[in-house]
Amino acid sequence: MAASIAPECNDIKEKYDTCFLKWYSEKYLRGNTTSNECEDLFAKYKTCLTKTLKERGIDNMLEEARKSTPETDAEYNRRT
Amino acid sequence: MKFFENIYTYDYSFPAVSLAYFLRYPNPYSRHVLTTDVIDRYVDPNTHRLHTTRIHLKKSKVPSGILKLLPKGIGGSDSSGQSYILETTIVDVKEGWMESESRNMEWTGILSVVEKQHYQRQPMEGALQKLEGLSLDDKRNEQTTVKTTVTFRSRFGQGKLLGRRKTEGEYEEEAPKRGFFTSLSTAGIQRTIELIGLNRTRDAILKSKQGMNVVLERLRSGGIVGVLEGMREDREAIVLGGEGPWKRVWMRGHASDDENN
Repeated sequence: MAASIAPECNDIKEKYDTCFLKWYSEKYLRGNTTSNECEDLFAKYKTCLTKTLKERGIDNMLEEARKSTPETDAEYNRRT
Repeated sequence: MKFFENIYTYDYSFPAVSLAYFLRYPNPYSRHVLTTDVIDRYVDPNTHRLHTTRIHLKKSKVPSGILKLLPKGIGGSDSSGQSYILETTIVDVKEGWMESESRNMEWTGILSVVEKQHYQRQPMEGALQKLEGLSLDDKRNEQTTVKTTVTFRSRFGQGKLLGRRKTEGEYEEEAPKRGFFTSLSTAGIQRTIELIGLNRTRDAILKSKQGMNVVLERLRSGGIVGVLEGMREDREAIVLGGEGPWKRVWMRGHASDDENN
């Protein structure tokens, strides 16, 4: 699995990634789109990342990127 | 502004291609990708589309051609040789498409590169296919096309040189270095920067497709476990710094794809 930008998050990231791949290939891609059994792992992974994202200023960059490219399903549907 | 457009067809089903997309790093052609993190992910309850935001950290140097155009101290000393790429994707499994957008998060004033891809299950026409058609395994007759559009835009000389960095007041924009380039207008410099970006992208797009094909082949022959095993080997190869066994094997079977490596 690809490494995390925060080495201390590699373990939890690997757990989350594994969970996601299983869910994506066995549930989502087969049409079961409602379940979200990896949510707890994702929350832990995100918490672990928070510090590094702040330290590296990525959270600010994200904020700016989001402001400049608002994209929602509603807009997507309008386009197509 | 410059554009690059390309259409490519994978000989794999849409579910396999979309899975490979999320699983594509590391692969033998992605040595420059250092880390990948998921920042946000959810299924829209109304559309059932899967939205994902990831950040990739990539090794990248500002091309020397662009460096020559920049005022002293910008791009050179500060450049850590790494850059962040923001990637957003939307998957619609029922309709059989995926949209992705990748953009650089820094230096956007010098050159903003936005890559958009539209993956589409084939055949495109007709009503929704039955869900039984969405198997991951070898539906060898199923294909997925991807249309890639890359937009290059330099705002050099328009007072937005450094994107976020300028707002921090770290740098002031100066006139470009004297010499040959003083003969170029701002528009000329912008065009030059955009062209340098365009040339680098041609190679990058080829490599990314080769990488996807390696991951897809691993998926076909060994499932997700096969992909994960391959990744382990790729990581070891990176650590060892050598070319690793994958390259010999891959080149033997895919000599024609490999001419640029």
